[in-house]
Amino acid sequence: MTVPRSSYSVFAIAFAVTFAVVYSIAVWKNYALFTYHPATNEFGLGVEKPREGGLAMYWYGWMATAGIAASVASLAACYLPQRLTSRLWPGLSWAVPLAALVFFAWLLKGYFLR
Amino acid sequence: MTTVLLIIHGLLAVALLGAITHQVASVWLPARKPAGSFVGRFRSVPGASYTNAIIVLYVCTAALGGIAIYPEFRLSVRPALEQLGLWKALGAFDLKEHFTVIGLATLPAYWHFWRQPLSEQHARTRAALTALLAFIVWWNFLVGHILNDIRGFGS
Repeated sequence: MTVPRSSYSVFAIAFAVTFAVVYSIAVWKNYALFTYHPATNEFGLGVEKPREGGLAMYWYGWMATAGIAASVASLAACYLPQRLTSRLWPGLSWAVPLAALVFFAWLLKGYFLR
Repeated sequence: MTTVLLIIHGLLAVALLGAITHQVASVWLPARKPAGSFVGRFRSVPGASYTNAIIVLYVCTAALGGIAIYPEFRLSVRPALEQLGLWKALGAFDLKEHFTVIGLATLPAYWHFWRQPLSEQHARTRAALTALLAFIVWWNFLVGHILNDIRGFGS
């Protein structure tokens, strides 16, 4: 069934979907927008190695990568023709994030199979 | 200071856990008749009234944990867990950090589908989104609790 959707509805569904997909890829391939070095409280652009024997945190950078990509994609989706957005299945807003949870369980299986 | 923040993080998580559990019970096990028992009353709450509180609590709990506490965890706690070889606990915590972010990204849709007046057409989507968030909140709560039991801050 196709129903007209408000712009916010399209944005919310598209954001949940694109964020989950981009974040999963960003973690998998380590596409962090920036790196945080907690020992020295410093930031570096892109993916950096740990500085001065400390450790590097990419989690914030992955979120930034996914947040920007998902915001741009979701705003763009709002401008798609109504005939396309009306076919957008609302269930994608939970199905794709659920798939992302399963993906992370697979990605981190090494911790549980040692 | 980190211990104080961790306690506040834990208290917010308890409130969030209660709210999302009330809501998921009201959606998946709605009371069909006036409730007399504790469980019946637990299920018969108006789920929509919890939505804004759940969103605020989720964002505050995630922000406090992710920004104020997580770097300290990485510096002080995680290396000790690695030395002890507690890989399952570390893996569960890594899942917690990723689940938290995925849950955050569903909040705009969650808010939209819980907006009043509730659309009967989107009842399944609303129920599934609520269950997904409830799973994430329960996972995060239990894993955080277990990690703190293994090696709390200041130990």
